[in-house]
Amino acid sequence: MHLEAPQQILLLLIILFPLGGAIINGLLGRYMAKGLVTLVGVGSVAVSFALAVASFVELYGLSHDAEHAALAYHFYEWFSLKLPGGTVVPVNVQFLMDSLSGVMTLVVTGVGGLIHLYSIGYMGEDEGYPRFMSFLNLFMASMLILVLGSSLPVMFVGWEGVGLCSYLLIGFWYENRDYAAAGRKAFVVNRIGDFGVLIGMFILVAVAGSFEFAEINAAAVGGEFRPDFPILLFGVAPSLATVACIFLFLGCTGKSAQIPLFIWLPDAMAGPTPVSALIHAATMVTAGVYLCCRLSPLFITSEVVMSIIAVTGTLTALLAASIAVVQREMKKILAYSTVSQLGFMFAAVGVGFFAAGFFHVFTHAFFKACLFLGAGSVMHAVHAHGDADIFKLGGLRKQLPITRWTFLASCLAIAGFPLTSGFFSKDEILLGAAAQIYRADNWLTTSVGWFTLIGLTLAAVMTAFYMFRLYFLTFTGEYRSADQSGDHPYDAHPHESPPSMTIPLVVLGIGALGVGFLGLPHVMPITGTHLPSWWSHWMHASVAGQPVPEEMGVVNLASGLAFGAMAIGISAAWLLYRNKSTDALTNKIPARLYQLAFDKWRVDELYAATIVNPIKNVATAVGHADMTFVDALMTKWPSFKVRETGRILARLQNGVVQMYGAVMVVGVVVVLAWFWTPHSRIEAAFEGTQVELTTPAGLGYEYRWDANSDGEFETQWERAPGTRFEYSHDDVRGVAVFLGNAASGIERRIEVTEEWSPLPIESVIPEESLPPRVMGFEVRVDGEELLFRQANAPVGPSGRQEIRLPMGRDGRLGPARVFSRPLVEATVEVRNTFGNMRRATKEIALPFPLGAPSHASLIQPAREVVR
Amino acid sequence: MTTRYLTWLLAIPAISALVVLLLPRGWEKTIKRFSIGAMLVEFIISIRLILADYSDAGYHFVEHVTWVESFGISYKVGIDGLSLWLVILTTLLSPIALYASWGSITTRIKEYAFSFLLLELGMLGAFVALDLFLFYVFWELMLVPMYLIIGVWGGKDRVYAAVKFFLYTMVGSLLMLVAILYLAASYEKLAGHYSFDLQELSTLVLPALPQYLLFAAFALAFAIKVPMFPFHTWLPDAHVQAPTGGSVILAAVLLKLGIYGFIRFAMPLFPVASQAIGPVLAGLGVFGIIYGAYAAWVQRDLKKLVAYSSVSHMGFILLGLFAMNRNGISGAILQMINHGISTGALFLLVGVIYDRRHSRLLDDFGGLAKVMPWYTLFFIIITLSSIGLPGTNGFIGEFMILAGSFLSRTAVGFGSSWFIMTLLATTGVIFAAVYMLHAVLRIFWGKVVHTENESLADLNRREVASLLPLIVMVFWIGLYPKFFLDKMNPSVDAFVTDFTVRYEEGLRTGEPRLVDFDKLTQRFEAAGGLALARPAGEEAQR
Repeated sequence: MHLEAPQQILLLLIILFPLGGAIINGLLGRYMAKGLVTLVGVGSVAVSFALAVASFVELYGLSHDAEHAALAYHFYEWFSLKLPGGTVVPVNVQFLMDSLSGVMTLVVTGVGGLIHLYSIGYMGEDEGYPRFMSFLNLFMASMLILVLGSSLPVMFVGWEGVGLCSYLLIGFWYENRDYAAAGRKAFVVNRIGDFGVLIGMFILVAVAGSFEFAEINAAAVGGEFRPDFPILLFGVAPSLATVACIFLFLGCTGKSAQIPLFIWLPDAMAGPTPVSALIHAATMVTAGVYLCCRLSPLFITSEVVMSIIAVTGTLTALLAASIAVVQREMKKILAYSTVSQLGFMFAAVGVGFFAAGFFHVFTHAFFKACLFLGAGSVMHAVHAHGDADIFKLGGLRKQLPITRWTFLASCLAIAGFPLTSGFFSKDEILLGAAAQIYRADNWLTTSVGWFTLIGLTLAAVMTAFYMFRLYFLTFTGEYRSADQSGDHPYDAHPHESPPSMTIPLVVLGIGALGVGFLGLPHVMPITGTHLPSWWSHWMHASVAGQPVPEEMGVVNLASGLAFGAMAIGISAAWLLYRNKSTDALTNKIPARLYQLAFDKWRVDELYAATIVNPIKNVATAVGHADMTFVDALMTKWPSFKVRETGRILARLQNGVVQMYGAVMVVGVVVVLAWFWTPHSRIEAAFEGTQVELTTPAGLGYEYRWDANSDGEFETQWERAPGTRFEYSHDDVRGVAVFLGNAASGIERRIEVTEEWSPLPIESVIPEESLPPRVMGFEVRVDGEELLFRQANAPVGPSGRQEIRLPMGRDGRLGPARVFSRPLVEATVEVRNTFGNMRRATKEIALPFPLGAPSHASLIQPAREVVR
Repeated sequence: MTTRYLTWLLAIPAISALVVLLLPRGWEKTIKRFSIGAMLVEFIISIRLILADYSDAGYHFVEHVTWVESFGISYKVGIDGLSLWLVILTTLLSPIALYASWGSITTRIKEYAFSFLLLELGMLGAFVALDLFLFYVFWELMLVPMYLIIGVWGGKDRVYAAVKFFLYTMVGSLLMLVAILYLAASYEKLAGHYSFDLQELSTLVLPALPQYLLFAAFALAFAIKVPMFPFHTWLPDAHVQAPTGGSVILAAVLLKLGIYGFIRFAMPLFPVASQAIGPVLAGLGVFGIIYGAYAAWVQRDLKKLVAYSSVSHMGFILLGLFAMNRNGISGAILQMINHGISTGALFLLVGVIYDRRHSRLLDDFGGLAKVMPWYTLFFIIITLSSIGLPGTNGFIGEFMILAGSFLSRTAVGFGSSWFIMTLLATTGVIFAAVYMLHAVLRIFWGKVVHTENESLADLNRREVASLLPLIVMVFWIGLYPKFFLDKMNPSVDAFVTDFTVRYEEGLRTGEPRLVDFDKLTQRFEAAGGLALARPAGEEAQR
C-alpha cells in the first residue's frame, strides 16, 4: 500500500548517507587517513541533518494546508504475509515523516551530528577510531530507520539495529572482557523486550490486517481492538488492545530501560562517553516512548495498560533516582538519572499525556546529551578511564569554564529550574498526573493518578538533589586530585577540551535552556493567562492524548509541586555539598539503607538468583542429559536390545533337531488355523438403482447372499464372490443422516435418534466460519423424515417451530447441507473347503431414495438398527 | 541440451565422479580443479532453473521415462517452487564446501572428490525425484558418501560417529521403504497396476489407520534426518567428527532433506495423519528450539555448539511447516535456505580456526578480534544472521514462521494451541542471542590470553572466496526476500489448498479409494477458495 502522502526521496537519503558512511569506514577506514575517516563519518551525518531539515521545512509547509501532514517514501516491497481470510498483507520498506517522526528525525540527526563532532576530539586518538565512527554511523542509520519506518516491521529493523550498535559500542573496548560482557547483557535484555514486540506485532496484524502504523491506529479508533482476546490470561479475558499493548510495552521496557528490564543501562556506561550521550541518553533509549506515541490511539484504548505504564514509569523514576542519590561516579549517576527521566516520560504516556512525554524526550535529549558530554569533557580533562569518581574531583569551575557553565545550564534544566527546558516539560508531566486525578471516574484511574503525582514529585526532588550534588562535588570547592601523593588517580593539571568538544557543549547547553519555549503551558499558573503551545498544536496531528485541563486548581497544584520539588532538591544539595569534599549523606541516613541504595537495591543479584542462575542450571543439566540420558535412551539402549535379541536368536540355532521340529509343528498349526475358518467382508458399489455387492475372493471359498438380511438367502452357494441386488422399500432398516460442507464437498455421517439431539454442524464447518443463525439446531428422526428445530427459539402456541425434511431431499443450513439416506443391511455367508462357515453383515447407506413405503409402520425405529 | 536440465544436473556429478575415479591418484591438482569445475558448471546450469516462470504451481522441467514397467517404477524428475531453492542451495554449497575442504584435506584426495560428487548427485536426485522409488534410491545413495566422509576423513572418534550416523538414518529409511511398498500395493488394488509416481499415488485416499501407520513410518525417517528432538543425538557426534566440508554439507543440505520429505511426500500423501500428528511434531520442534538452545549454551566445543544450534533452528522450521499456512511454510522453506547459508558458513568459520589451532574449544581462544579483524567481521555477520537480526536472512524466515504459527487458527493447523506454541517458540530468539553471543564473547573479546593465538593469520584468499558468496546471500535474502518468496509462494499456496482438500476428503471414513483431486480442488476454489478459513463475518455476508 502506498501512503497517500507526497513522495519524498530525501527520506531515504537521510538514512542512506550514514549507512554509506558506516560501510565505507567499516570496511576501508582502517586503510584511510584519519581526516578522511572524520570527513566520511561526520560529513555523512551532517548531510543527513541538512536533508532532515529540508524535509522538515517541506513538512512544515504542508502542515498549513492539511490536518495530518506527512511526507512518505515507498522504497520497495519487502515481503508479505497472508492472513487466514486470504488477505495478503505486504510489508513495505516505506518511510514516513509526520509531525512526530519529523521532530524525532531532527533530534536524532541534530544531536547525533553534534556528538559526532564531539567524538573527533574525544575519540580521535583511539586506535579504533574508524571502527568507532563506523559503528556510530550505523547507529544513526538504524535509529533513523526506527524513527522513519512507516510500519512495525521496518521500525523493528531499526529497533534491533540500534540494539546491535549499542552492543558493539558498549563493548567497543573489547579487550576489557567486562565491557564486552556489559554489551552482551544489553543485547540479551533488549532481546527479551524484542520478544514482546514480535508477539505484539502479530496480534496487531491479525486484528488490523496491516503493519502500517496509520492503519493500526485507524483500526484502534474504529474499535477493532475492543473485543476480548480469544484466550484467558490469568483467568480474565482482557481486550485485544490490552494484550497487544502489554507485549509491546514489554519491548519498551527493554529498549527504554524500565522496570523490570532497566538493569542493562547502567552497565552500558562501559562504552565511550559519546556513545552514552547519543545512544544511552538522547536517542535510542527513548525509542520505547516513541513507539508508545506512534501507537498512542491504540494504547489509549486500554485503561489497564495505561495504568501499568504509569505505575511502571513512576516506580522506575523513583527507584533509579534513589540509586542515583548515593552513587559516586559521574556516568553512573547520569545513567540512573536517565533511567529515572525515562520513567517520567512513561508516566506521562501512562496518564495519557503522550505529547508531554514526548516533549520530555525532546528536552531531555538536549540537557542529558550535554551532561554526558560534559562528563566526558571532565574525564578527558583529568584523564579518567571508564568513569570518574566525583569525590576525587572538585573545583573544576576554574580549569573547565565552558564545561562548567554548560553543565550548570543542563543541571538547572533537568532539575526543572523556571524557564529552562526541563521546567516546561516536567511541569506538563505533573499536570498530566494531576489531570488524571481530576478526570478519573473509577478507583483504578484515581489511585494511579495520585500515585503518579506523588511519586513523580518525590522523584523530582531527588533529581534536583542528585544533579546538584554531582555539580557541586565536581565543580565547586578545591580540586582534590591536585595533590598526587594519595589515592588520586587523576591528572593533576586538568585542561579545557578542544573546540570540537566545547562547541557541541555550548550548542546543547543553549538548547537545554531555550527549547522549552516551544512547549509553553496552555494555561499559565497563578495568572490563568492562555498561552500558545506550539508543541501540543504540532503534535496533535499525529499523537492522541487526554485533554489538557484548564482548571486553575489543577494547574496551580502541578506547577507548585514542580517548583517546590526543584527548590527543595537544589537547596538540600547546596547545604550538603557546596564546597564540600565528603558525602554528608552518609551521616544523615542509616548506613544499611545507604549501602543498599549504593548497591542498586541488589536488583541484579535478585535476577541472578531467581531467573538467570536457574536457567543456567537447567541449561547445564540439559547439556549433560543430552549426551548421557537422551543419547542412552535413543542409541545405547536400542543397540543393547538388538545385541541381546541377537544373542537369544543365536541360542535358538542350537542344532537340536527335536527343537526345530517342535517349532515347525507350531508354525504349521498357526497356518492351518488361519485357513480353517474363512474370512470375509462386504463392499458395495452402486450402479443406477442396482447395488453391486462383492467380497474378497478366497481360495476354495463359496458364497451365498442374503442381500437384504431378511433371513432368506437370495442366491445358492456359488463360487463367484459377488452379486447384484435391487433394494425395495421394505428392506429399509432405518435412515442414515449426513452433514456436508457445501463449499468443500466434505460429508460426514452423524448419529441421529428419535430423541432430540444437537446437530453437530461444527464437525464439518469450523465454528469460526459459522454464521450465528445456523447454530444451535437440534435434530431427530421421525419415521423417514428428519425434524429440525432451533434449540433456543421461543416456544409458540403450537410448541417450537419445527422443520420437516423428507428422505432424499437436501436441506441447506447456511454453508452446510444435511440430508438422509435409506439404510439397508447385506449379509453374506462364506464356506471354505473345510466346510467351515463365516457370516458377515454390513450396513449400506443407499445414495438414492427408495419409492413410497408400502406400509409405513414396517419401518423400524432407526435407533435399534444403527449400531 | 534442450530442456533436459534436470537430467544434466544429475548426469554431471555422476559422470564427473566416474572421471575422477579414472584419473591417476598422483594428479592431485587436476582432481581438485576438475571436481570444483564440475560443480561450478553444475551451479551455472542450476541458475537456468531460476529463470522459469513459477507463477503457476505445477512441476517444471519434468522428464518422465519408464524404468521398470511391471512395477510402475519410472525415472520422473521435476521441480516446483517448493524444491527450486533447495536445488540451488545444493549446487551453491557443494562447490563451496569442496573448495573449503582443499585447504585441510591432504589424504586420499581422489576418493574425497569422488565422494563429494556422489553426495551432490544423491542430494540433487532426492530433491528432484517425483517417483517414490527413485527418491528412495537417491535418499540411500547420499548416505554412503557421507558415511565415508565422516568415517575416513573425520576426527578421532570418526568410526563411532560414522556408524552411529549410518545406523540411525538407516532405521528410519527402512521403515519408509516398507511404507512406500505398501502404498504402491494399495494403489495397485484399486488402479490395477503398480505405481510409484507421486502424482498417481496422490489420487489414493487411505482410511485413517493406515494413514497413521504410513505417516509414522515416513515421519520417523524424516524426523531423524531433520533431526527432531529426541532423534537428534547422532548430529553432535557426526558434526564434531566430520571434516569441515562434510559438516557444511551435512548441516546445510542433508538436514533439509528431512523437512523436504515431509513437505513433498508425508504431508500430501497422508493429510489426516499429518493434521493429527503435525501439531505434536511442531510441539517437539518448539521443545527442540529451547532444548537445542540450552544445550548449545553450555557446550565447550564450538562445533558442538553450532550443531546444537541446528537442532534449535530446525525446530523453527518444523513449527512453520505444520502451521499449515503460506506464512509458515514459505517461512520454513526460506529458513531452510537461511540455515543452510548461516550454519554452513558457521562451520566454515569454525574450520578456519581449527585449521590454524587444531582446537575448537572455547577455552583455547579469546581476544581474536585483535588478531583476526576480518575473520571477526565475517563471524559476527553470520552470527547476526543466525540469531535473526532484521536486515539479515534469518529474520525473514523466523518472522514468517512465527507469524504463520500465530495465524494458524484455521481448519488445518494447530487448533487452540497456536498462542502457546508461538509464545514458546518466540523465546527462542532470546536464547539464540544468549548462546551465540556467549560464543562470540569467548572467542573474540577480551585479551589474547594464549600465546599461540598472538600470531594467527587472518582469512586467506581461499577462505574469503568461500565465505563471500554466503555473506552476499545473507544480505540479499535479508533485504530483498521477495525475489525468493515470489518463486515459491504460488506452489505453497497450491500446497495449502491441496492439503486442505485432501484432509477433508480423507476425513470421510471408509475404504481406500481413488479420487480426482483436480476436480475437487476446482470445486473447492469455486466455492470461494479457502472457504473453511474464512472468518465468520465474511461468510455471513456472502
